[in-house]
Amino acid sequence: MNLVLVFQSLISGIMMGAVYALLGIGFSLTWGVMKVINVSHATFGLIAAFVAYTLFKVFGMDPVASLAVTLPSLFGLGCLVYWFLINPITRAKAVIVSSMILTFGIAIILENLILLVWGADPRLLTTSYTNKVFAIGPLYFQYPRVLGFLMAVVGVTAIQLFLKRTLTGKAVRAAWQQSEASQLCGINLKKISMITFGLAVASAGAGGVGMAMLYSFEPHSHNLWLIYLFLVVIVGGVGNILGAAAGGMLIGVITGLSMAFLPYQWINVLTFGLLMLILIFRPHGLFRSEV
Amino acid sequence: MTSRRKGFITMSGKLLGTILMVLLMCWTVNAAEKPIVIGGSLPLTGQFAETGQWIERGMKFWAKETNEKGGLLGRPVEFKIYDDESNVNKAVTYAEKAITVDKVDLLFGGYPGTAARAVMPVVEKHKFVYVSMGGHMKSFEQGYTYSFGGPPLMGEWWYEGFFQWLETVPADQRPKRAAVYTMNNPIGASLTESIIIWTKKLGIEIAIDEKYNLPLPDATPLIVKAKQMDCDLLCSNGVFADGVMTIRAAKALGYNPKAIVQGIGSVVPAWSKELGPDGDYVFSGTSLHDKLKFPGNDKLNAFVKKEYQIDGYPMYFGFGYVWMQTLSQGVEGAKSLDQTKIRDWLKSNKVDTIAGPMKFTDKGIPDPINFCTQVINGHAELIWPPEVRTANPVYPKPAWK
Repeated sequence: MNLVLVFQSLISGIMMGAVYALLGIGFSLTWGVMKVINVSHATFGLIAAFVAYTLFKVFGMDPVASLAVTLPSLFGLGCLVYWFLINPITRAKAVIVSSMILTFGIAIILENLILLVWGADPRLLTTSYTNKVFAIGPLYFQYPRVLGFLMAVVGVTAIQLFLKRTLTGKAVRAAWQQSEASQLCGINLKKISMITFGLAVASAGAGGVGMAMLYSFEPHSHNLWLIYLFLVVIVGGVGNILGAAAGGMLIGVITGLSMAFLPYQWINVLTFGLLMLILIFRPHGLFRSEV
Repeated sequence: MTSRRKGFITMSGKLLGTILMVLLMCWTVNAAEKPIVIGGSLPLTGQFAETGQWIERGMKFWAKETNEKGGLLGRPVEFKIYDDESNVNKAVTYAEKAITVDKVDLLFGGYPGTAARAVMPVVEKHKFVYVSMGGHMKSFEQGYTYSFGGPPLMGEWWYEGFFQWLETVPADQRPKRAAVYTMNNPIGASLTESIIIWTKKLGIEIAIDEKYNLPLPDATPLIVKAKQMDCDLLCSNGVFADGVMTIRAAKALGYNPKAIVQGIGSVVPAWSKELGPDGDYVFSGTSLHDKLKFPGNDKLNAFVKKEYQIDGYPMYFGFGYVWMQTLSQGVEGAKSLDQTKIRDWLKSNKVDTIAGPMKFTDKGIPDPINFCTQVINGHAELIWPPEVRTANPVYPKPAWK
């Protein structure tokens, strides 16, 4: 057995999966808390990627530093989208279906806006450390992947702490667990939902920058990213932040290991076959669905 | 009959004649000015949007030039372009729509090869001439008679130029082992054909021959494997996204083969723009290039310089132009918009284009056209054949900077 190839593929897969997780936690949150399947989630991430690219090219701003600009902006944008577009449909009987249709429309509008502003050219985020590595024995660690991994750890921890340790976070969980009772306790459901949605969109921004450090991106890339989002949430369990993180890592591990052991053309068969098995035997995901 | 009445009848006759003549003239003038509508679809959004938009620009440049010269068959030309969103099914639907609903006069060629391949049976059914890239040899071996690759982007020919050049390198300096990674689709499969034939001929062992589905999640394992197996020739038969990922992983892991051969990704302007010097020294193929000396290329270069501030027209701008150039020569030659007459003219005459002169076989393709390119200082230079060479090849590949 070629152990170097196995471990190198595994390391690379775990780091890649962590970035998928970072992109997916907000998607899981809105789906779990508000029953809103935000199909435009990855598109918000893509906007952050394009903004990071522009800030880097024009001002030389590091993509991670650009999050200081994009995260608050996307949080605000998310709040506005919730207030004016999502909130009116939360009264619909089939919120999940309505939200999918609505956010699909938002994704198309945003994609066309990206096309208008940045054009159709594919982009690559190439910083001074893009091709840098450090080695531990025969194994290489690529800086962008390590950075993406660290961003994922920070992002997941921050959202988890927010939900468990802050009053607003506890209100979000209360609203998810007992909607009516929480309102009787004085929790403003609309405001809490708006904050949750804003937070989720902001986390998409961090995930988008993480993805841009690994892959080239174009105005339509969000369609592909969306597949990873569904994978992460379905494997990890809807509304479960740590589950989403574990789901992302698991997908990375499976991809990495299958690249070491199987012909590459079997990777998608294996990944989606596994997804089908999970849906059959654990329809709510590998982890318990909760916030 | 009184003379007064006779005069009235004569006058009326003259008046009627004049009116009829005026009407006839108006009709003739109107018919002459009625534009020739050329329809179809391009991927203006979605995965292939960048390329699709350059093809559209090339086509529009041809239309502008044609209209300035008095049009086609004396009539102005105009396009009815649908955006197929890089979706093959939509490309087929729009081709059907252009022919049956819009009743266009001519059809323009689509992109990418998967879409062109799917449209070819549609045009055959409706007996419409279709000049496009084709995509791979099999699409021209289905017995279609109205489809032309003018010129085609033939996967099977793609690396011919590279290997012909490599044959001129002394045997002891050639690569010994090849790692071949190919996207798992018909275009990728068509790219591997010449690699298999030529590596055998040149005594290069194919140590790795792997296919991957797009999108490629990670190029690291590919490069680790190629490095471990001492492959000094890397054939990366993919598109832009997986191509740049492979280059990045190769640089990061310090894998520096003697030559890197890339499929389609390295011929788009974004390759050098985004990869910078890391994108240099990559070999590829093409059937059209801005530095070819055939008449018309200078004009295209001048236009893109003025309009887009680019040195040398992007390849797909040229393709958008040349496919229309081929089709229009068929129309002018046939002196008609009758599709069968256009087809027959194209099958029995030579066309002169910016890609050179072409004569089509019964399959609708010319004799193999392929030029080997290498990205040097951010430009895709022509390396082979020697008569078109614009720069000396850099081999073996220098170390990563």
